[in-house]
Amino acid sequence: MHEEPYTQAMLDLALKKSGGKKISEIRLEVGRFSAIVPASVEVFFRHLSAGTPAQGARLVFHSVPVTLTCTVCQKVLTLEIPPDAPVRPALGTALGRGCTCGEKKLKVSGGLGFDLIGLTVA
Amino acid sequence: MKTIEVRKSITAANDALAHELRSQFTRHGILVLNLIASPGAGKTALIEKTIARLGAAVSIKVVEGDPYTHLDSQRVIRAGAQSIQINTEGGCHLDAQMVGRAVDRFDLDQTDLLIIENVGNLLCPAAWDLGQDATVVVASLAEGADKPLKYPEAFTRAQVVVINKIDLEPHLPVTTAELRRNALTVNPELTVFEVSCLHSTGLDSWCQWIRDRIATKK
Ligand SMILES: Nc1nc2c(ncn2[C@@H]2O[C@H](COP(=O)(O)OP(=O)(O)OP(=O)(O)O)[C@@H](O)[C@H]2O)c(=O)[nH]1
Ligand SMILES: [Mg+2]
Ligand SMILES: [Zn+2]
Repeated sequence: MHEEPYTQAMLDLALKKSGGKKISEIRLEVGRFSAIVPASVEVFFRHLSAGTPAQGARLVFHSVPVTLTCTVCQKVLTLEIPPDAPVRPALGTALGRGCTCGEKKLKVSGGLGFDLIGLTVA
Repeated sequence: MKTIEVRKSITAANDALAHELRSQFTRHGILVLNLIASPGAGKTALIEKTIARLGAAVSIKVVEGDPYTHLDSQRVIRAGAQSIQINTEGGCHLDAQMVGRAVDRFDLDQTDLLIIENVGNLLCPAAWDLGQDATVVVASLAEGADKPLKYPEAFTRAQVVVINKIDLEPHLPVTTAELRRNALTVNPELTVFEVSCLHSTGLDSWCQWIRDRIATKK
């Protein structure tokens, strides 16, 4: 249910950028830690895009890994989490382990977003 | 066939509106706090206590977000501040457009502090910028100490955590220290306050932090 406003915002942005042309594909980047479920976006998109130039467009989702940045040495750690594995336990473990420099203070610096990367229009 | 590069956040339109709101609030010298918590953590209780302590010296306005009811804005008005209720009709977060429409009804020249109580939900409200100076997560000790690890989204994006209901510590198998430690594990830059809105403890340092932040806006 919570994907509806995100899907509406994505559709609005796509329609604005397409300048009224028929859209055949929308490329999206979804952070592993964005709390966005692509399948749910698909369902809302089918309903919300009906009757617009985006109707029938293919949605292509790319997953963006979670990154943690050390607040001391600025090193960026990328969490390699298999696509079907849950994010939260892995994140908890990584935060608990800390940085390779020995520092415990890490900030989540990536993988929270949901971005529109590009469109294919007729 | 033509491809168009966009590379923008889905929330770009909201972010642009929030940016305008932030400039408007800054022009008026208003401190804006976006309160986020799970249902029942004590967001409204914290607002009531803040009004009781600061209301005489600080002009406070409150935007209340709630799926359907007006109960919270009624509590805030009884506590002595002007309040506008936004009903999201089931929506799980406030957005900048809703807040913009609500604050149009306040006299911003007569406002020092604007508190926005977001919809009770830890998952997505923090992703929608409302033009605030700080995002404040209210975390109740009664919910357990593991919530920062289970719902890191809000804690990651917040600047402040208010741990509420510390009066319950003797009755619970969790400690305030554990909750504080978990919040700081998820986001080491958080400023943490420990309060009981029921017993009015710990509110001095919270209110002092607000006063100091208001001073930087003037
Ligand atoms: N023991 C204890 N109870 C508290 C405290 N603060 C709030 N409560 C109680 O917790 C319940 C929820 O408080 P609210 O202020 O309504 O919480 P809220 O976060 O605004 O709730 P929603 O707006 O419904 O999401 C009420 O019954 C309060 O009396 C506290 O410090 N200690
Ligand atoms: Mg409330
Ligand atoms: Zn480091």
